[in-house]
Amino acid sequence: MENITLKNVTKRFGKTTAVDNVSLEIKAGSLFFLLGPSGCGKTTLLRMVAGFCEVEEGDIFFGGSSVKTVPPGKRNTALVFQNYALWPHLNVHRNVAYGLEERRVPPGEIRARVREALASVRMEEYEFRKPNELSGGQQQRVALARALVVKPDAVLLDEPLSNLDARLRMEMREEIRRIHDETGVTMIYVTHDQKEALTMADEIAVMSMGRVEQIGAPQEIYRSPANIFVATFLGDANLIQGELIERIGPFGMIRTPLGVFTGRLADPNMRGGDAACCMVRPENLRLSGAGENRLPVIIKNTVFLGEAQQYLLQAGSVSLKALAVGSADGVVKGKQAEAAFTAADALLLPAEGEGCA
Amino acid sequence: MKKNTILFLVVIACFLGIFLFYPILYILRESFLPQGNFSLAYFRNILSNPATRTAMANSFWLSVATTLVTALLAIPLALLMTRFRFPGKTLLGGLLMVPMIMPPFVGAIGMRQLLARFGSINLLLLEGGLVATPIDWLGSARFWGVVIVEALHLYPIFYLNASAALANVEPALEEAALNLGSGRMSAFRRVTLPLMMPGLFAGAILVALWSFTDLGTPLIFEYRNVMAVQIFDRTTDLSDNPEGHALVVLMLIITTAIFLTSKKFFGTKGYETIGKGGTGASEKTLGPLGGFAAMAAVGGVVLIACLPHLAVVLTSIREKWFMTVLPESYTALYYVKALGHDLTLPSIKNSILLSAMSMGVDIVLGVAVAYLLARRRFRGIDLLDAAVMLPLAIPGLVLAFGYLACFAGTVLDPRINPMPLLVIAYSVRRLPYTVRTAYGGFLQISQSLEEAAINLGSSAFRTMRKVTLPLISANIIAGAILAFSFAMLEVSESLVLAVKEQYFPITKAIYQLMARIEDGPFMASALGVWSMAFLAVSLLIAGVLLGRKMGQLFRV
Repeated sequence: MENITLKNVTKRFGKTTAVDNVSLEIKAGSLFFLLGPSGCGKTTLLRMVAGFCEVEEGDIFFGGSSVKTVPPGKRNTALVFQNYALWPHLNVHRNVAYGLEERRVPPGEIRARVREALASVRMEEYEFRKPNELSGGQQQRVALARALVVKPDAVLLDEPLSNLDARLRMEMREEIRRIHDETGVTMIYVTHDQKEALTMADEIAVMSMGRVEQIGAPQEIYRSPANIFVATFLGDANLIQGELIERIGPFGMIRTPLGVFTGRLADPNMRGGDAACCMVRPENLRLSGAGENRLPVIIKNTVFLGEAQQYLLQAGSVSLKALAVGSADGVVKGKQAEAAFTAADALLLPAEGEGCA
Repeated sequence: MKKNTILFLVVIACFLGIFLFYPILYILRESFLPQGNFSLAYFRNILSNPATRTAMANSFWLSVATTLVTALLAIPLALLMTRFRFPGKTLLGGLLMVPMIMPPFVGAIGMRQLLARFGSINLLLLEGGLVATPIDWLGSARFWGVVIVEALHLYPIFYLNASAALANVEPALEEAALNLGSGRMSAFRRVTLPLMMPGLFAGAILVALWSFTDLGTPLIFEYRNVMAVQIFDRTTDLSDNPEGHALVVLMLIITTAIFLTSKKFFGTKGYETIGKGGTGASEKTLGPLGGFAAMAAVGGVVLIACLPHLAVVLTSIREKWFMTVLPESYTALYYVKALGHDLTLPSIKNSILLSAMSMGVDIVLGVAVAYLLARRRFRGIDLLDAAVMLPLAIPGLVLAFGYLACFAGTVLDPRINPMPLLVIAYSVRRLPYTVRTAYGGFLQISQSLEEAAINLGSSAFRTMRKVTLPLISANIIAGAILAFSFAMLEVSESLVLAVKEQYFPITKAIYQLMARIEDGPFMASALGVWSMAFLAVSLLIAGVLLGRKMGQLFRV
């Protein structure tokens, strides 16, 4: 298996640019996520890797060789479709065997490999059912088996879990991760569900409007988003607008209407006087405890989330959210309190356009 | 069940019982139980008669050949039209439907002129050096003449079924095959084609049944040794020669067999393949060369398909047309003459009256049945559904023959006055169309709209009148126009049932005019053009009202 490299790939549909100068390096054997809101170009990008969308500008390489002119069937990728695309006229066995038949694998070996693939997704008993006799989750497993059985260079998954209910989705996340780890196959996984990406990925590319906004491991992207879009798309973020006063190494000080705060600089090119945003995750904004940065707040409301308690806070004209596991004592709706966060938990992002919102 | 529902079910049961099941049962009894005793003598006679055996074989091969030619035309067209984008596509898509607006019966008159020994087609073939001697289309090769005319008339039905089937195949299914290593051909053969099969067979069955029982085209081509014409010939001496009954039963058995076997083997309910997250069919834009080729191919089919109609027009206005591809001079004489003929004006009047009345019957019954099917749940609802759809499978010729036989000597005897039975025959056979259009309408509008009205104090009847009917009026009007226009150009029932000249509808008048020694074809063509224009206008209106759903009417 080889790395998959995208170099300056661009795709236009009429006047809209669906994919805008994207460059990526997907390491062999990794579970790579393309994450973004609908219409950000992630599916188009995936279809370009599969060969269903022509690469107009730029190039795609499997290992060292360009696949630009290679037809879809010769790329040795295997797509898992959002709606599974199981052929309704063929039973589970025939569906899974299809790719092997096209590859002229001897019948005896086909039987063995189909069994093996079905076993790996725990669907052995359903070999001779028709797709419409299976539940959504089962169809999903068959679709995975159909993709895995051909031993592809890359499995491409297009929002594979979006048609499943919440409970099944959780189960299949673990299942796909397990299958990935067992087979070691490269997977490119398209989703708009940030939870899915954060819990499953080795690496994530966050996309917006055809461009890649940031590439990195889940923790890295969550803790150190490159810009406001990434910060707000992955998880909740409190944003306080202000102006950068000075830099102290990797840290900076920002003046905001709520006070002066210290935080990590998201971009080493930020200079004093630049408009900036101070970003703090709700779980890092504490109503009791330590932190270099402190600000007075009014507790407007508390929301019970089950595993945690959410506090809706008002600080001046800014609304903030805090999240605490267990309940904080003495926090009562309508009361004044002091919120605190550490400099390490705060990230100073360059403000774009109109500001933080 | 409510009292009204029961009352209506009794009415519809009587209607279908008397005018659909009774005639068929009557023929069955006459042919199997001639003098009250079971006997297969008639069948033995027919089957041992070489002439009728040939007729059966001819009909069979006619139907097979027509279906094959139709499929060869329609499937590539469907692929081209659903998969690709090219210049002029929308216009050509509309023009492809044009052949449907003419019964092959009228087109055949024009085609006869083109296919004559020294008609336009042979002259073109000779000039082009493609044949050495003219092909005798109307003589030894008239089997193919009939096939061509029928195929050119019927391919839109096949095409509509095929393209609907193709559009229903989720593109991801084909992409999955391509992705797993299939080439385009292999993906089509292994995935797309099997998924299209139910739709293709639906189209094929309609075409096969239609051409098997078509009376008009073989009559005009004087290809008399087919079952339909044999049955028609026997309508004149019904009482003395009961073999006609047996022939009708044979036809019914064969058509039912075709229908049932196909349903059994290929009529699996079809695959619901467009699911959540489906992308819908995607069209590929063709390059300039491919675009031109596609345009030329579809345009060519349209042109060829319009030939019979064009020929009818040319025939009706020709003054001198001999040994030339196009007429040498033109005249409007036959239009005037046709209108002046004793047969013409009464026949137009009769047709309009008959069609309007049968349309009325169809609307009332059709909407009521559709309402029951869509909005009520009761035991036997499937039976009702099957019963009102049955006329689709009963050839008009069989029904007309049954009427002639079983209502002889009653107040409805068509030999005395065929008008009531003509109205009923037309409406029975078009009932499925109005039921379907109205049913589609009922399904489209949410029941909650009706419940909202009832909740606000409206009675069921007022709700129907004030809310439901206005919402589905487009569907009803479209169904009505279809019923009306098909009745206008109905051939077999009109030819069989209208015995007296004063009651002739247009089609029978055209047939009668054809027989005039001197100017028969030209007069018939002129009348044919009138009826063509009429049908074109009504189908256009129906098409506009129905939008894209038009195609769904012609699927089994």
